[in-house]
Amino acid sequence: MNYIGKIDKAYNYIKRMIPQRPQIGIVLGTGLGTLANCIENQIIIDYKDIPEFPVSTVVGHEGRLIYGDLEGKKVLAMQGRFHYYEGYTMKEVTLPIRVMKKLGIYMLLLSNACGGLNTAFSAGDIMIIRDHINLMGDNPLLGANLSEFGPRFPDMSQVYDSELIQLCNNVGSKLNIKLHKGVYTAISGPYYLSKAELRMLILMGSDTVGMSTVPEAIVARHCGIKTIGLSCITDMALPDTLVPPSHEEVVRVAELTKPHFVNLVKEFIKEVKLGENL
Amino acid sequence: MVKLNEMIIEAKKYIESNLVDIPDIGMILGSGLGVLGDEATNKNVIDYSNIPNFPVSTIEGHKGRFIFGEIANRKVAIMQGRFHYYEGYSMKEVVFPIWVMRALGIKKLIVTNAAGGVNTDFVPGDLMLINDHINFMGQNPLIGSNLHDFGTRFPDMSNAYSSSMRDIAKKASADLNIQLKEGVYVSMTGPAYETPAEIKMARILGADAVGMSTVPEVIAANHAGMDVIGISCITNMAAGVLDKPLSHDEVIRTADEVKDKFIKLVMAIIKRM
Repeated sequence: MNYIGKIDKAYNYIKRMIPQRPQIGIVLGTGLGTLANCIENQIIIDYKDIPEFPVSTVVGHEGRLIYGDLEGKKVLAMQGRFHYYEGYTMKEVTLPIRVMKKLGIYMLLLSNACGGLNTAFSAGDIMIIRDHINLMGDNPLLGANLSEFGPRFPDMSQVYDSELIQLCNNVGSKLNIKLHKGVYTAISGPYYLSKAELRMLILMGSDTVGMSTVPEAIVARHCGIKTIGLSCITDMALPDTLVPPSHEEVVRVAELTKPHFVNLVKEFIKEVKLGENL
Repeated sequence: MVKLNEMIIEAKKYIESNLVDIPDIGMILGSGLGVLGDEATNKNVIDYSNIPNFPVSTIEGHKGRFIFGEIANRKVAIMQGRFHYYEGYSMKEVVFPIWVMRALGIKKLIVTNAAGGVNTDFVPGDLMLINDHINFMGQNPLIGSNLHDFGTRFPDMSNAYSSSMRDIAKKASADLNIQLKEGVYVSMTGPAYETPAEIKMARILGADAVGMSTVPEVIAANHAGMDVIGISCITNMAAGVLDKPLSHDEVIRTADEVKDKFIKLVMAIIKRM
């Protein structure tokens, strides 16, 4: 089956399962899946039941879609995402974003756990993604263009919507949650970078480093979904003082950051206005 | 499975059987720059679709054919349209025409492209002589078994854009009073344009222009012992330089505006080669 056919098949299945058009898509990063507990009137769809959907394999990723109400908005949350390092193709990694577009979402909130490269940051901080650098060596838009979704050469000069960034910043101030803004660099992983590689990334202008988000953001931009990205800094990846992080440590810090992250996202979703132009 | 070598030879033989004279200069014309093909005389056009084993170009503004003919009394093979990695071709497919041209006996290559200006001293409409490149595509056409008939396993890239050829280009531009910038071209896969953060990175790394082509072909050409001239037409400023989105329409529009200057320069270069 061709890619469009796969998208349609997954879309048709999900559309039958949910009563209304979702307004906001949410992708929950490593350790951040509990936000889904705040969603009311839940309809849970396991990825394994969705035709043509890949299945998530990593610990801490549950692998299901949760539809429901969050702060007065209809949301569709991905609890668990598909990572390139798991061996999925870029088309598989971003298939859920295409499906969300077809389901009619206006806005996408991408979240991740990442390493901090900016000395002004600390583990446990949250960064609003201002821009990204794709160092994964691959791109989800390679191949024939899906012209029903977007143009052959999409502009990427504002992948992360400036109004959403502004709103999120204001919400952070209101809730007294410290927020940074910066550049997220995506590497393929799955191993953590060497010190020399981390130094290189800092030199290139990166504030955080992680193994996700950028493929989804590129595809969201291609199909015209307004996007915001939030990075939870679970460890500092400063090359000169580096303590190798374990996956358990990443999950532990994500646990500590979780209450801030959950409050921030809930208030943001409450305040975001979904008009025709969003 | 047919070996790559045999596929190249088959394509070469087909072209040869359709030609009277074997050209000695190969040219690849980038987005919006295909008009140079119209300047050729005694034309013999071969569509890519008729050449055995050739991929077919799909993108708007790329015609997808070889024009064999004469420019400035030199026999040239002009590629009107090229194969881009972002279209989904493998690197071997992208550079397949280079190998075919080399097999035909062509030893000199002029590569052109439309590129975004990374160097903030550039303005749209500038022509830039490529003096070096950075391969940021995460791929390389020489990966895999080496084509010994063409070149060595570990080819040198220290003079990928031949300094003697660059001198020719500089003299030609000086004689014509056409301003020719010079700099480093970084290739990224595309097809999405780069983000401002990626362009800032490219600048830090030493790039002056950014695009989605040329580098694979130049690597293959160098491996095969060809002398290369590369010219970028700066059709737009790269992301983040100006406070506006990038569009393919702008690329094509600027290429159209500079085509007269571009044609004059390339013809003068060919005359001096």
